[in-house]
Amino acid sequence: MSLDSYEKIMGSCIRCSNCKFIPALQVKSQRFSAICPAIERYNFHAYSGGGKMVIGLSMLKNRIEYTPDLLKVIYRCTACGGCDISCKFFFELEPLEVINELRTHCVENEKGPMPEHKRWMESVETNHNPYGEPHENRHSWFSRNVALHDGSETAYFVGCTASYRRKEIAQATAKIFDAAGLEFTMLAAEEYCCGSPLIRIGARKQALSLMRRNVEKLKSLGIKRILTSCAGCYSMFKVEYPRYLNTDFEVVHTSELLNAMLKNGELTLSKDVPLKVTYHDPCHLGRISEPYKHWSGEIRKVLSCIYVPIPPKPIRRGTNGVYEAPRNVLRSIPGLQLVEMERIKEYAYCCGAGGGVKSAFPDFALWTAGNRIEEAKATGAQAIVSCCPFCSTNFKDALKQRGESMAFYDLTELVLKSIGGSM
Amino acid sequence: MLDREAYDALQQVVGADNITEEPAILDTYAYQWCTEVEKAATGEEPSRFGYRPEAVVLPSCTEEVQAIVKICNNFSIRFKAHSTGFGVWGAVSGPGAIQLDLRRMNKIIEIDEKNMYAVIEPYVTNAQLHSELLKKGLYHHMQGAGPQTSPFASHTSMIGPGFTSASTGFSGRNVLAVEWVLPTGEILKLGSLNSCAEWFSGDGPGPSLRGIMRGFAGAFGGLGVFTKCAIKLYLWPGPREWRVSGIIPNYEFEVPPYWKIYVINFKDWESFEKAYYKIGEAEVSMMAMTSSTEGLATMFSNTREDTIKKIFSDLMSKAQRYVVVLVAAHTEREFKYRTKLVSEITKEHGGSDLVEIGVVKPLSTSYAEAVRNMFGSHAFRFTSCFQSTHGGMDTISMAVNLAKVNKDIKLKYIKKELIGDDRGEGIWASFYEQGHFAHMEMPTIYDPSSAESCKGYSDYWVECNDTDIKKSLGIPFFIVGDKNHDLFGPHCNNYQVWLRKIKEAFDPNDISDSGHYISSKKYL
Repeated sequence: MSLDSYEKIMGSCIRCSNCKFIPALQVKSQRFSAICPAIERYNFHAYSGGGKMVIGLSMLKNRIEYTPDLLKVIYRCTACGGCDISCKFFFELEPLEVINELRTHCVENEKGPMPEHKRWMESVETNHNPYGEPHENRHSWFSRNVALHDGSETAYFVGCTASYRRKEIAQATAKIFDAAGLEFTMLAAEEYCCGSPLIRIGARKQALSLMRRNVEKLKSLGIKRILTSCAGCYSMFKVEYPRYLNTDFEVVHTSELLNAMLKNGELTLSKDVPLKVTYHDPCHLGRISEPYKHWSGEIRKVLSCIYVPIPPKPIRRGTNGVYEAPRNVLRSIPGLQLVEMERIKEYAYCCGAGGGVKSAFPDFALWTAGNRIEEAKATGAQAIVSCCPFCSTNFKDALKQRGESMAFYDLTELVLKSIGGSM
Repeated sequence: MLDREAYDALQQVVGADNITEEPAILDTYAYQWCTEVEKAATGEEPSRFGYRPEAVVLPSCTEEVQAIVKICNNFSIRFKAHSTGFGVWGAVSGPGAIQLDLRRMNKIIEIDEKNMYAVIEPYVTNAQLHSELLKKGLYHHMQGAGPQTSPFASHTSMIGPGFTSASTGFSGRNVLAVEWVLPTGEILKLGSLNSCAEWFSGDGPGPSLRGIMRGFAGAFGGLGVFTKCAIKLYLWPGPREWRVSGIIPNYEFEVPPYWKIYVINFKDWESFEKAYYKIGEAEVSMMAMTSSTEGLATMFSNTREDTIKKIFSDLMSKAQRYVVVLVAAHTEREFKYRTKLVSEITKEHGGSDLVEIGVVKPLSTSYAEAVRNMFGSHAFRFTSCFQSTHGGMDTISMAVNLAKVNKDIKLKYIKKELIGDDRGEGIWASFYEQGHFAHMEMPTIYDPSSAESCKGYSDYWVECNDTDIKKSLGIPFFIVGDKNHDLFGPHCNNYQVWLRKIKEAFDPNDISDSGHYISSKKYL
């Protein structure tokens, strides 16, 4: 795809502003009615999903040129896809696709990404992770008490953030798998970044190169099933890999696996975890994880001015994201009480970290997390739980910065507690 | 580019983060729905990009708005303010103007439960206000533009029909006291706000300025900036918690116990008209509206695909002249009374309820969409674009006549494949105030990506206006700009002369962009 392939879609935006709010049917208060952190923080229409569509159109029509301010508009966006969901309640437009194409257009024209992102790109190239960490330390979190099964067709793909920044998530995940008797292996030194940090900032060419390498490696190891505790890795393997590389790995998030294990009796949660928690849906496990379905067909005129795709074109509305599995797991933990925020599931408010915002605009990332923390606090919960190491990092940073007493846990940490394990 | 001194002065008022001259950002304000039609009407190449403002400023309060307006007067810079800014009417209409985006003025200042009004700022949306009001057992009139748009803009500056118009009237009837930054920068407090600092009335004491402020149709942002207003509230006949579950697009709304949707079908316009008068007089419906069968197909659908399927189903042969009635009562007794009356009126005029006989099935969310004014947005599903002509604002009989007359006009353009095929039947109507008068617009689909279609719609629009005049069918509800006022004014007591006098008196320097209002004689 390219930006010009979205010209008609961009020109169909009516600037209705639905993209700025959660779907109107779901608005339960003024306070928590926004969906888009960027427009909420920076206010100019350009920052909204619709605004980005106009910018894309304007760019195609050579009405504007790249400027530092334009780059800020394009990259001060978590690419969370919230605008996309709200738009699609009425329309069949693609604001998120346009946001991604705009970024790719920036990179391909050597105008983007932001300087901080360029450091990411270099680090992914040299260290195979965006954090500038030595590759040889990737596996340093691993505890020898966990049994690995060489030759297993199931691999736990840990991801860069859990490997280097949120080791507790990687450790909890591996311990739970081990305790449940799951036979799995890991790629260890052969595990490279999944490509998410690259593709989200528009470095598609570099991402594809990395993704091809990963596919070859996974195939050479005989891997058929990928387990991941990272929402970002999950949406990459579930959505972007099959979209661009035609892969057919079975991709399972830990929350899905744990939910299935609980249902099958392969895992029992017995220890009380006396906590009142609220669950934050990571964008990349929720709305953005809906699989991409390739479509081919024709656009046929059925009435004057009215055209329809034959066969019907699948619309990614976030309907098929992973929403119930983590909730079911939480509800299975004895002593734990789950309370919901106002903005949940496909219309959940973003944590603020994604799309390269955490590295290039850290103040904006913390500001957005602060909004979500306020929403979590309004539920009376003692802790926020989520399923994404990157959300985890941003929430922990924001909680610390704000001096909040509220805690943050990854789902796996609570499950580990409930099976009697410890870090 | 703005004069540097003017830019610095504006920046001083709002701060560096709240003013921009970045072309990419400005372009997102130049782009507006319906610009393509206005351009086509003037012989230009249809495009949604209109004039690019010289700068966009984001004031946060009345004092900042006032300071901006004074700077504009000092430097002879035209300004245009918008709130949620949906449609060409919110954009600047010529070169050299700046845009005030009132997004930061988004507070619900007060909900007076006892006196049943809410005081709001420009960027409060319908859905936001509704969500807060129903917690207190109240609701407000929402204009058809949708839940994501500003009731403030509609109440102060447009006519504003909506899906609950049968019970809540139109926006112009619901505005109470107003705080208004005049085009000169003076602040005018309208109605009771001026005399006793309370918001309960938009009129008096003495001559009411409400007519000056909005006339028949509103000034479409061409007469200064409104910064706060009070709007009328109604008793909410439902629970104080809004319960919607499920995953998009198939949400489920917990329908309150005494709510019921009817789709009462009549065999012809004559029986429809009689029944419609009766429904209005009986005061039993929260919503009582009509549309085409295509409208019915999209109203109770969640997706475009489902809508198109319904259009090609037998629905088309089974629905003719129908009224969608929502009965929403507070008590069982009231519900029984209201539904009994609806049934009797239906029977008396030979109607049948298409819901009862299984021809259509409202979704649970249809109830929620009705009261949150979401059905209008469904019409965008066909081509991502429609706009309406006519307006009526006369009797129900005239509204019916309008629909009949318009059919042949529309069919001409459909035959040429310039506008969407709704068999010429595409209408939307609601009565106001117990059926005393009615709104009748003709929603028409066109393809915004096709210059021919935009031009076709524009020609159709001109022909609709001419027909309104030739056949005395009322004034269009989107009556904007000198050309239209000069077209209709001579047929309506030369109101345009008075409108110009108002413009000249309130905006002596012609600073408030009146491209979608009227120019004073001096600046014509």
